[in-house]
Amino acid sequence: MRLALAVLSLVLLILAGVVIYGQFQSHWQDSQKEYLNQALAMAKTPAEKASLEGRDPKLEQNIVASFKDAHGGTIVDRCESCHIAVDDPRFDKGNEPVRTHPYLAQLGDVQKNGRWERKHKFSEFGCTTCHDGQGHGLEKADAHGEDDAWPYPLLGFTVQSNWDKSIALHVQGKDYLQANCARCHTDKDFPGTPLVTRGRELFFKTGCFGCHRIQGLSSGTIGPDLTQIGKERKVDYLWGHIVDPRAYTPTSVMPKFKLSDDDRKALVIFLKSRQGTTLAESPMEAFKLDTSTIAPVPESAAAVAATVSANLSTSARGEQLVNGYACLSCHKLGDHDGGISPDLTYEGLIRDHDWLVSHFRTPRSRIPDSNMPAFGLPENDYGDMAAFLLTRTTSPPAMSPADTYKTLCARCHGDKGDGKGVNAIYIDPAPRDLTLAEFMANKPHDRFINSIKNGVPGTSMPPWGKVLTDDQVNGVFSYVWATYVKEKPRELKPRKVPDVNPVAMSQQSVDRGETIFQARCIGCHGKKADGHGPNSPDISPRPRNLRNFAFMNSASDHRLFESINYGVEGTAMPSWLDYGLQQNDVGDIVNYIRSMNKAAK
Amino acid sequence: MGAALKQTDAGGQQMPRRKFLAWLSGVGLVGSTVAALFSTYFFMKPRATYGQPNRFRIGRPEDFPYGARVAIDSKRVCIVRDGGKIAAISTTCTHLGCIVAPSETGFQCPCHGSQFDVDGNVTGGPAPKPLAWFQVSLTPSGELEVDKDSEIQTGTYLNV
Repeated sequence: MRLALAVLSLVLLILAGVVIYGQFQSHWQDSQKEYLNQALAMAKTPAEKASLEGRDPKLEQNIVASFKDAHGGTIVDRCESCHIAVDDPRFDKGNEPVRTHPYLAQLGDVQKNGRWERKHKFSEFGCTTCHDGQGHGLEKADAHGEDDAWPYPLLGFTVQSNWDKSIALHVQGKDYLQANCARCHTDKDFPGTPLVTRGRELFFKTGCFGCHRIQGLSSGTIGPDLTQIGKERKVDYLWGHIVDPRAYTPTSVMPKFKLSDDDRKALVIFLKSRQGTTLAESPMEAFKLDTSTIAPVPESAAAVAATVSANLSTSARGEQLVNGYACLSCHKLGDHDGGISPDLTYEGLIRDHDWLVSHFRTPRSRIPDSNMPAFGLPENDYGDMAAFLLTRTTSPPAMSPADTYKTLCARCHGDKGDGKGVNAIYIDPAPRDLTLAEFMANKPHDRFINSIKNGVPGTSMPPWGKVLTDDQVNGVFSYVWATYVKEKPRELKPRKVPDVNPVAMSQQSVDRGETIFQARCIGCHGKKADGHGPNSPDISPRPRNLRNFAFMNSASDHRLFESINYGVEGTAMPSWLDYGLQQNDVGDIVNYIRSMNKAAK
Repeated sequence: MGAALKQTDAGGQQMPRRKFLAWLSGVGLVGSTVAALFSTYFFMKPRATYGQPNRFRIGRPEDFPYGARVAIDSKRVCIVRDGGKIAAISTTCTHLGCIVAPSETGFQCPCHGSQFDVDGNVTGGPAPKPLAWFQVSLTPSGELEVDKDSEIQTGTYLNV
């Protein structure tokens, strides 16, 4: 017992000793000792030697008085506790951390009488203002922000352990420091930050501004506001999210843009530089900026206009707008394919001026579930763009049905006809799965031919009858049938379906229809009838959005009655007559659906 | 074990062992207590406070023309250049800590009228002590560095 006590007490003593010793032995003290020793060896005068000998390692810190950090706190940088030689030009070949911070003409450093003089003095700017990292930290991992929990890892130099290895390589390098230069140097074409300038250009050129708002720059509302994104996210997240948005946010509707690595880097740096209030602005200036953009005057319009030469005919101006801005980062036009949105090559045949202009103004006025943003460009730009697209009136050369399918249909419906073309995930309603024989074989051919020839209103299916001859349409359809459906058309059972809704439209009928709908239909079609009911994610094809007014208004009563009464083969829609609905109930539901779409118009 | 100990107690031979163990425990416990107290005492005093650092750079010698007397109020120091010699004199009044201003005759305190000569010696008013002189050194990058932690003899200049 006594022995145990004695041993324990000794262990305690040793532990206390180790802990206290550890507290007095820090890495920063080692670096300072190393520096002092080397400086002593270099010292030339006795006075210098004496002052160095009298110096003990001491915590060095810069308290930056001129401005605050991103969150309004005081900047306290203790970096020089380890990086003790940053301002001592004799250590330009030293090993980190005892090494001179390079003198660079790019940073505004100048040589006077053979000595360099810094423009951004560390005592005025601190270190983290440019480099990020955690100024308070006294251990390397803490100070450099290598710990996952630190929000601002050293820009461009630190790779945190939780960063994806494939991304980590891309977000290294001193170029990333430009993001912090731009926190003060906000001028549009500041020569010291070419990558920020390039990123800003790409922000407009690839159409980011259509969805994302950046205070004072753009006013998109579909995606998150990026005004402060640099404060909220680390560079690895920005990179990864641009490469594959859904890997980070599974529900993201952001397309995967085709960008080169250099362009991605420029965008990441530009985004990292967006920190809300810049260091050059006082909170009052930020407040003014905030209220001045309530009625957005997007810089986007000016940015677009700046790239277009004046004195051009409308369609030539439109061509520059379409080519130079946003459109082709998603759409296909001729040989250029953005891989996200429909083909504009035959737009002049397919659409008319009104359709195009109203679609530019509000894409959802024509295709209610379109993911295209309303870019908010000036009205005459829309007119010019429409004028250019209307010149695209050349039909494709005569091709075999297989080639026609490949050229015109495969982008959405897929090479295998399964409705999974390259851009299918961006299209809502989704392209039809042509291999779904259960559906295909139970519908009359006329309906398919009609859909191909006249398009399907409210969806991305265009009226191909305006591009192809009837023979070509029939040829493609036969090809689809033979290649993908691979089944004989079934004999359709005669069904008792009224051509016109027998229940007269009235408020009572609509109310009854709503009651039934909310009781029976919302599991799939959703409470708002927008096709996003709780079961909808598991269902393929997806339940119809019954508020797609363009589509619903084109669907006849006959079609609605048939679908509700007998269900839709090959889909999750059951036959509601079997589930106990009466013809009158169905009539009420149809009235309810019609009433919603009238209002939506 | 208890029984065994009792037996040996009776023998009287193991008492030194007991004492030794007690002594050892005592040393361990007292030692760690002292260490704990020492470290507690030591860490009561912070290694760094959120004040402006006491060692700071003020610029290059050529920034101060001959005969200049430049008061840097934010650092509470006055840089004096006398020919090729430079010194840093505190501008904190030794009376109640107001910031003194350089005048033609030396320094004057606006609060209670203390007067100092050009070297900071008291020539009038309630100030009890002369103004402190701080060590000035030339860093390898060619800048002047003032260390307010080390006071030096009045009249000690740095030759530049």
